[in-house]
Amino acid sequence: MTKSARSRIFAKIRHSSRGATAATIREELDSFGKAPAADLPTPDTATAFLANVLKNQGTVDCAANRTDAVRAVGQYLYQHYRTHRLVAGNDSRLAAMPWRDAGVLPRFGTAEGNEPAALSYARLGVAETGAVVTFTGKANPAANNLLAEHHIVLVNCEDLVGDMEEAWLRIRHEVDRDGRPRGINFIAGPSSTADIEGQLVYGAHGPRGWHVILLGYMPASALEDARALAAG
Amino acid sequence: MEMHSQAFLENAREALGDPEKTRRRGLLAAFTPMVRNAAMESFGKFEPLRQHLRRVRQHTLDNLDHYLDRFEQEALSNGNHVHFAMDGEEMNRIVLEICQRHSARRIAKGKSMVTEETGLSRHLQGAGLNVTETDLGEYIIQQAGEPPSHIVGPALHKSAAEVRDLFLARHDLGERELEETSQLVQEARGVLRQRFLEADVGIIGANALVAENGYSMLVTNEGNGDLCANLPPVLIVCTTLERILPRAEDATAMMRLLVRSATGQPHTCYTSFYSGPRREQDTDGPIETHFVLLDDKRTDILASDYREMLQCIRCGACLNHCPIYAAAGGHAYGAVYMGPMGSVLTPLLTSLEESHLLPNACTSCGRCAEVCPSGIPLPDLLRDLRQAEQAAKLSPPRWRTGLKLHAWLARHPRLYHGLTALGIPLLHRLGRRRGSFSKLPLAGGWTSQRDFPAPQRKTFMQAYAGVLKAEKKRRRHD
Ligand code: SF4
Repeated sequence: MTKSARSRIFAKIRHSSRGATAATIREELDSFGKAPAADLPTPDTATAFLANVLKNQGTVDCAANRTDAVRAVGQYLYQHYRTHRLVAGNDSRLAAMPWRDAGVLPRFGTAEGNEPAALSYARLGVAETGAVVTFTGKANPAANNLLAEHHIVLVNCEDLVGDMEEAWLRIRHEVDRDGRPRGINFIAGPSSTADIEGQLVYGAHGPRGWHVILLGYMPASALEDARALAAG
Repeated sequence: MEMHSQAFLENAREALGDPEKTRRRGLLAAFTPMVRNAAMESFGKFEPLRQHLRRVRQHTLDNLDHYLDRFEQEALSNGNHVHFAMDGEEMNRIVLEICQRHSARRIAKGKSMVTEETGLSRHLQGAGLNVTETDLGEYIIQQAGEPPSHIVGPALHKSAAEVRDLFLARHDLGERELEETSQLVQEARGVLRQRFLEADVGIIGANALVAENGYSMLVTNEGNGDLCANLPPVLIVCTTLERILPRAEDATAMMRLLVRSATGQPHTCYTSFYSGPRREQDTDGPIETHFVLLDDKRTDILASDYREMLQCIRCGACLNHCPIYAAAGGHAYGAVYMGPMGSVLTPLLTSLEESHLLPNACTSCGRCAEVCPSGIPLPDLLRDLRQAEQAAKLSPPRWRTGLKLHAWLARHPRLYHGLTALGIPLLHRLGRRRGSFSKLPLAGGWTSQRDFPAPQRKTFMQAYAGVLKAEKKRRRHD
């Protein structure tokens, strides 16, 4: 049955097709050039990224080094839960963090249904959209993005890109090296819904809090400038 | 899908009779264009990106055999099962078979207009499966037993008070406060979380299929689609052929316009690409994944003069900007797709006989075409459908006689101008004092919602002739 649907569909499509060769098709597609992207609110990528994360109703922190980063994680947990319970994927970068400095010891594995907080190490951050990018897998099970009440995400400054087109260049590079991951997730905010009377409510099905910690070298005023941009 | 498009006029009349719902539709019709326009203004590149995407999509449709073939190969090599379905019935059958093969009982379903089109949930429920719609809007209307009233916000016709009553009746959770919208969302979150964790099969739609790598793109704010795609052991992606785009960046470029057009956000919270079943090293994700690719007349539309309609990305902007949709509401259309895009699609997906009234639900104001991120000339397509309706003699004889009379008059300009020159000053004199009419003979329906402005003293042609004359005079003097 299905096979016949397939051949019927292909026959009908071929009938309306131009029948061009793969090379011609490629050439035409390339001739369209790059799609226009949204302008960044400021030329500095780190500041622009932070500003857009804030606009997406995320909260942000900056950390100059890994010790500062784990401290920022600990502070966030303590603020929200007065606990240091945390789940994180089996990411070698996360395992190597100086957790003892912050008194936090994550459970490395997959989030359960009622987890207070999960931590991910993003592959990329996209300044254009204020999104972080994670791949599903052992290092970041999909459940960790979705099931916890709060999702904390670390991003390295050198993993920031300007727009989505640049993001795909980087992703392609990683995929060529490591193969296609099952899922590529762009996350840009806590889960939300406006399905009842158009009123925006956070914490629809996924995390209700989304905290991004940018790690590495950035202008000293990045966070302050980002806050001003997001407010303006 | 169940069709009630023949009753459009009665449905619309009934909808207009409910002042509270009419008021809320009015609010949405003011609010949704406002957020869309603000988002486009701050983006600033609507037209160049619309042009770019039109070229890419046109190119994709022109070479659809090439891209569909590529997508299928990539999806197969990613470890998926790929199925094709000629019509909705076949899609429903394929999905049910997969569920039965896994002895599935509980299905968690994401939002998908395609499965609305095929009536998939009803089909699965008919076979004894327990299907939960997990998008909050879809969940609400599933509980209420109603069809969606909007392609993006399916339950926007319901007030928070109605949702509260519905939840109190449907959720056995005892005494509780449900005054705030946030409490309603919280309750649904709790109920649905359990359904995600228990589900045997997840079913989602796709906003795009990427030919170069076999991934499907899913866009949501709630994250419900992602829970459906990641937690259950079996995942079925139901979508149609025309969702295909050549490259991943084409899908995310489309997102720039899709989300701004739909909700006024620069992008959604979750934009996810899924390639297939879990990999060897993975600790979660479905073990088996399927694509079911539906035709349901898309290949017919591809070969027709209405091909441009296949560029629609289901953003809902044309609904939000349509005065008829605002007045009559989504349910009046009696079909899965409503508003301008629905009035074009429904006759093409069903038949003109069943839904010939819909292309007439248009004032030719042109706002839909102006805002459509796919640049679809909706008013032109609607006019073409009306012409087909006339040709097939489907419209009421009274309309056809009226149109014939008008056409005849239009071909006799002297008589036409003579008659309008008589009528317009008369209306002007009658409405002079108030500047408008709150009642007019033969137009009671129209004036029940708004006033008819009294015309200027002269007809357009008279005023135009005056301008020409003045211009000539000016030139002579120069
Ligand atoms: S026709 Fe255009 S405006 Fe309407 S839903 Fe489709 S893409 Fe959006």
